[in-house]
Amino acid sequence: MSAPLLSVRDLEISFRLGTEETAVVRDLSFDLGEGETLGIVGESGCGKSITALSLLGLVPNPPGRVSAGQILFQGQDLVGASEEQLNRIRGNEISMVFQEPMTSLNPVYTVGEQIAETARVHFGSSRAEAWDRAIEMLKLVGIPSPEQRAHNFPHQLSGGMRQRVMIAIALVCEPKILIADEPTTALDVTVQAQIFDLFRELQDKIGAAIILITHDIGVVAQMTNRVMVMYAGRKIEEGPVAGFIRDPRHPYTRGLISCIPRLSMSPSDMPDPLFEIPGVVPAPRELGAPGCAFAPRCPHAMQRCRVQDPALSRIGEGRAVACWLEEEVAA
Amino acid sequence: MIKGTLGKTANTVILLIAVLVLNFAMIHVAPGDPVEALVGEMGGATTEQIAELRAQFGLDQPLYVQIGKYLWNVAQGDLGYSYYYDQPVTSLILDRIGPTLLLVTTALFSAIVIGTVLGVFSAQRRNSLLSHLVTVLSLAGFSAPVFWIGIMLILLLSVAIPILPISGMTSSEVPEGTFWYILDVAHHLVLPALTLGLIYLAFYSRLSRASMIEVLQTDYVRTARAKGLPRRMVIYKHALRNAVLPVVTFAGLQFGQVISGAVLVETVFAWPGLGTLAFDSILRRDTTTLLGILFFSALMVVVMNILTDIVYRRIDPRIKTA
Repeated sequence: MSAPLLSVRDLEISFRLGTEETAVVRDLSFDLGEGETLGIVGESGCGKSITALSLLGLVPNPPGRVSAGQILFQGQDLVGASEEQLNRIRGNEISMVFQEPMTSLNPVYTVGEQIAETARVHFGSSRAEAWDRAIEMLKLVGIPSPEQRAHNFPHQLSGGMRQRVMIAIALVCEPKILIADEPTTALDVTVQAQIFDLFRELQDKIGAAIILITHDIGVVAQMTNRVMVMYAGRKIEEGPVAGFIRDPRHPYTRGLISCIPRLSMSPSDMPDPLFEIPGVVPAPRELGAPGCAFAPRCPHAMQRCRVQDPALSRIGEGRAVACWLEEEVAA
Repeated sequence: MIKGTLGKTANTVILLIAVLVLNFAMIHVAPGDPVEALVGEMGGATTEQIAELRAQFGLDQPLYVQIGKYLWNVAQGDLGYSYYYDQPVTSLILDRIGPTLLLVTTALFSAIVIGTVLGVFSAQRRNSLLSHLVTVLSLAGFSAPVFWIGIMLILLLSVAIPILPISGMTSSEVPEGTFWYILDVAHHLVLPALTLGLIYLAFYSRLSRASMIEVLQTDYVRTARAKGLPRRMVIYKHALRNAVLPVVTFAGLQFGQVISGAVLVETVFAWPGLGTLAFDSILRRDTTTLLGILFFSALMVVVMNILTDIVYRRIDPRIKTA
């Protein structure tokens, strides 16, 4: 097997809170192959978004920084790369679509300009070429009458349209990796489906690998090949999507899957009560305490869970989980 | 669009009439009138003479008649006649408005430009020496009264280190209309403009610093960085244009304040502008001139607000109507 497109090794991201520095992401390793779609799942505050930002060298500094590990993109370590090196990769080889389409576009420039400038910076295109390219991209992401829309300002477009523009910006240089950080959270359900259709269609056309960050298990099932579950800054389960949905191993993953509400079909059925995982994600200050970070919320927590942190162990083809229960089962 | 412009024009006219009426009434309420001042300078007069003078100036008529007549004259472009200066008020003001506009725009414009530059730089390096210096200087600029700063600047730059002239706008030996004349005026302009502009410099450096810090944390600046744009493009193209919006807003609003500040500064530095004229006309109860100046100041503020509006629309596409 050839080297993966992107290989994250033992990544640690720390934030300075007051005088202390706390690692909010720890021991994180994962690979991404060409054209693959990887889902990163977890509740808010699990370190998904900050991991995504670190891939582009955009961890807000201060207070944050990548404090250990490597991010190897085509063999080049992006940790410690210069701004110039990173700028050649950002938007060109690796690009990102953010969660908030309403605020992610600059209000004072036309959407055409915001797409075109990316092409100018990376390809050195002329103004006219870049503008034509912008219109082509608008057409590609399914915006009607792109010649006119290119002259629009962001406030003249709906949320769904703006997210399409963000996708156009991200894809204008045909990147090898597209990171989508909860790209549809702020949008209507019907628009969500359209955006994901668009992602799949464009992935076929451009062949980019996608890292899809979400807390929506349904989206993961539809969109991804492989899933990684994060909790409190660590990877706790990983595997191909089919096995993950059918047979989740970590109690947290099982909890997440049980949280999906089901529509009851027959009118006589009382709807099932909504499932919830009790408690909340630990605050950054509470990280680094001994034991499994999920233990306080875990229905199966044992004595051992509270004192010793379980390591990630392989449990089959491409699957791994960090839970003491697995060892109990194996023993 | 046309409807909006018409509405705005109507508002402006009503505003100017209100300014005129209000000023007229206020000056009327204040003790003393031009006749008293004139009589004082003549060294006394009989009651009949005073009554005759009052009748000649129309001061014996009821207030509303006086205001009505004045408004009618202003509507026809006649601001009245100054008996003290023995000139029509309009030509008196037009003589003096140049120096005032020069002083006010120089002070405000340099305050905006330098203040924004300082603010933008210190926003990027929030813990640098420059950033702290800007904070301290702007605090000092805020707290110190204008006249005190003027006197201190005179003491420092004209007395202790005599490199700048203390007062006036020109040196008598330089012939008008030459290149040296322009330099000479600029030389004289430094101190008054500095005195007048310092507080605004302080204000704009703080305002643009705060605004820039806020803009640098927005999602669209993050997008600009994620696109791989070089740093200078992120700062000067994507962040700066959004960060100057509050600066433009305040510049328009504060123009009136700067004009009133100019009265003090012109008096301190004997700058031959509207401020000195206003000061003198208050002392001499030259109400016609004073009213004219107040009217012109209001007019300048209105014009400046319209200009601000136009600039604002050019910078921010979200503002289209009203």
